[in-house]
Amino acid sequence: MELFVARLFDGLSNGATYALIAMALVIIYKATTLINFAQGEMAMFGAFIVLVLATERGLPIWIALIVGMLISALIGAVIERTLIRPFDPADHLPLVIITLGLFLGFNAVAGIIWRFDPRAFPRMFPDGNVLSFGVATLSWYTVCVVITVIVVAGGVNLFLNTTKIGLAFRAVSSNLESSQLVGIRIGPTLQFGWALAAAVGTLGACVFVATPLRQLEPSVMVRVLIFAASAAALGGLDSLWGAVVGGLIIGMVQSILVQYTTFIPNEMSLATAVIVLMLVLLFRPSGLFGTKRVERV
Amino acid sequence: MAARFRLLERSPQARAYKWIGWGLFILGVVLFAFAYADTAQITLLDNDYAMSLTRVNKSISFMIAILGLQVIVGFTGQLALGQSFFFGTGAYISAYLVANHNWSWFLSILVVVPACFLIGVIFGLPALRISGLYLALVTLGLAAVFPSVVQLEQLQKYTDGAAGKSVSSSLVPPSWLPLDGIASFLQSIPLVGQYFGDGDLSSKEEERLWAFFLFAVLLAICMWLIANLIKSRPGRSMRAIRDNETSAAVSGIYLAKDKTLSFGIASALGGVGGIVYVAEIGIASPGDFTQLLAINFIVGLVVGGVGTLSGAIVGGFVIAFIPDWASSTVNVPGVPERWLQGPTGTLFLGILLILLTFVLPGGIVAGVRKVKARIIQIVPQPPPGATIPPAATDGSVVASVAADADESPDTSDGVSDVTGEASGEDLRSSATSDGRSTS
Repeated sequence: MELFVARLFDGLSNGATYALIAMALVIIYKATTLINFAQGEMAMFGAFIVLVLATERGLPIWIALIVGMLISALIGAVIERTLIRPFDPADHLPLVIITLGLFLGFNAVAGIIWRFDPRAFPRMFPDGNVLSFGVATLSWYTVCVVITVIVVAGGVNLFLNTTKIGLAFRAVSSNLESSQLVGIRIGPTLQFGWALAAAVGTLGACVFVATPLRQLEPSVMVRVLIFAASAAALGGLDSLWGAVVGGLIIGMVQSILVQYTTFIPNEMSLATAVIVLMLVLLFRPSGLFGTKRVERV
Repeated sequence: MAARFRLLERSPQARAYKWIGWGLFILGVVLFAFAYADTAQITLLDNDYAMSLTRVNKSISFMIAILGLQVIVGFTGQLALGQSFFFGTGAYISAYLVANHNWSWFLSILVVVPACFLIGVIFGLPALRISGLYLALVTLGLAAVFPSVVQLEQLQKYTDGAAGKSVSSSLVPPSWLPLDGIASFLQSIPLVGQYFGDGDLSSKEEERLWAFFLFAVLLAICMWLIANLIKSRPGRSMRAIRDNETSAAVSGIYLAKDKTLSFGIASALGGVGGIVYVAEIGIASPGDFTQLLAINFIVGLVVGGVGTLSGAIVGGFVIAFIPDWASSTVNVPGVPERWLQGPTGTLFLGILLILLTFVLPGGIVAGVRKVKARIIQIVPQPPPGATIPPAATDGSVVASVAADADESPDTSDGVSDVTGEASGEDLRSSATSDGRSTS
């Protein structure tokens, strides 16, 4: 029982970070019906910027985080304008190729600038445990991460539902042509979506490495992207709260199914995520909360 | 624009052109092999670029894997990006058979091809319901999973876990092959003889040469088979599926059958590539078959040209040589040394990928074809009874030739190209319906 609760807490903190990256994927999917394969690497890059601002420029970590998120948002907006917009959103191959190119590019640039030795990330959350019984301890990190996710998801939702650009974004993601007809400027709206996603992604990567158990290095997000993508697909690729729920479920599956049951070895956690992804796509392509796709010929 | 030379298909001139072209190509390959049997270096701006046959052999393994991607992505239009999974599977199966059961490398093809075909079909079945971006996601996930699969405890005794499965069997040339004789003949040619080294070949060099020729023949056989496949009924069905799934189904194509067939063939080719890889490198280790390799294959596919067979050759060269050359580039005037260390090759490949998508969507092969079409063109025979159009300047004939390219492939350049000029455009029009909900 204690072990079970311990695993539950583990799953909670992992799942929450997957949820953040999944949210970034969902925002971009809502904007451009595209899965951004470079999302994990962009987030990693943003986390490095935050790290540099905090350690080399000496900014307090939370200010560094906000500046880093703004810089990532700018990078995201520039990428949308220069690399994504020239292509037809219905034609998947060129867009997949572009995002794979970005994947390689960000990974390599981070490797060239910051090398591959892992670095400790500044502490963002208080140390210690909130409560513990037996081997099961609920650390402040877990609590803070979960709160962060809920705050971010709520904030993004509030933003999309109350501001004018949020309204435009929702209109564009629901129907591109109609929103163009009512006079919404498509380009800047999509650009805004990419900027928002990049900022959320950077936050996700920072939160992910902000525990003493992990360190920041250029390949840290490669695996996370797969988990996050399964989370996003599980929740329904166009649902923000779906991404949160999906992330938590994937985190739980990873820690309970893989570490609690003995017949699935530890290395297979990624495989379980891929299998979940495959099953969701096979039997419920719209995920738990996503809109059903209607294809017209 | 009119081509400078125009040859009528199946005319004596066209035949001569074709045979001479092929002959020169093969001669070039043989000469190249002998010239670079030992490790040669090209020095440029104080950087040493290695140009060795071992790396060429490695690139052949990539070429075969990319050829598989051409079948599934290029000709069938399914975004299955996890080729490294099958590449690794083939490598491990053949390494196991050779190391533990003393099979010969080429005998292991008999096991690898059916095994990879079957695994490909198994993964192809769910892919019937998963399309577009989602398929890309799942298959990339599959590629990411492979290294942890081979490190499973239950598979340790077959795969040797994290250390990798090493194999010591090498390809020894048969004694009847006068490799030494050819080498000394080439060395005795005045003026150019010095480029072929001096003295007898060492046994290492002989093995390398022999492996190169075997691999090259294997690659040629694979290309020939795929070229025929593309022209055959299933191949035409695949291209129809790529261009428009719905209309293909309406025309009586059984989507499930042809899609799974395409998956199976692509995976089998991936497996064959894996055999060549491990036969050349001598070790199959989990770190080699990662997601990054899968993405590198995509780079090769795109840089060479999606939907062209010769694109696989170009792509294989690019992904085998560019990372190596980039890491041996240590001196570039004006660029601080710090920026030339680390994964510059990966950066270069990423930039190349994005750049080519903008500038040359059909890849390098499409660019070469454009240039070639200005110089020489092979025009199909007019149907019996038709009047032969006036030569050269008539633009409409050129247009109709370009439109016909799919039906009458121009097999004149080094390697047979199948879909002709139109392939780049075809691919762009193969849009499947997007995920936007229309309400």
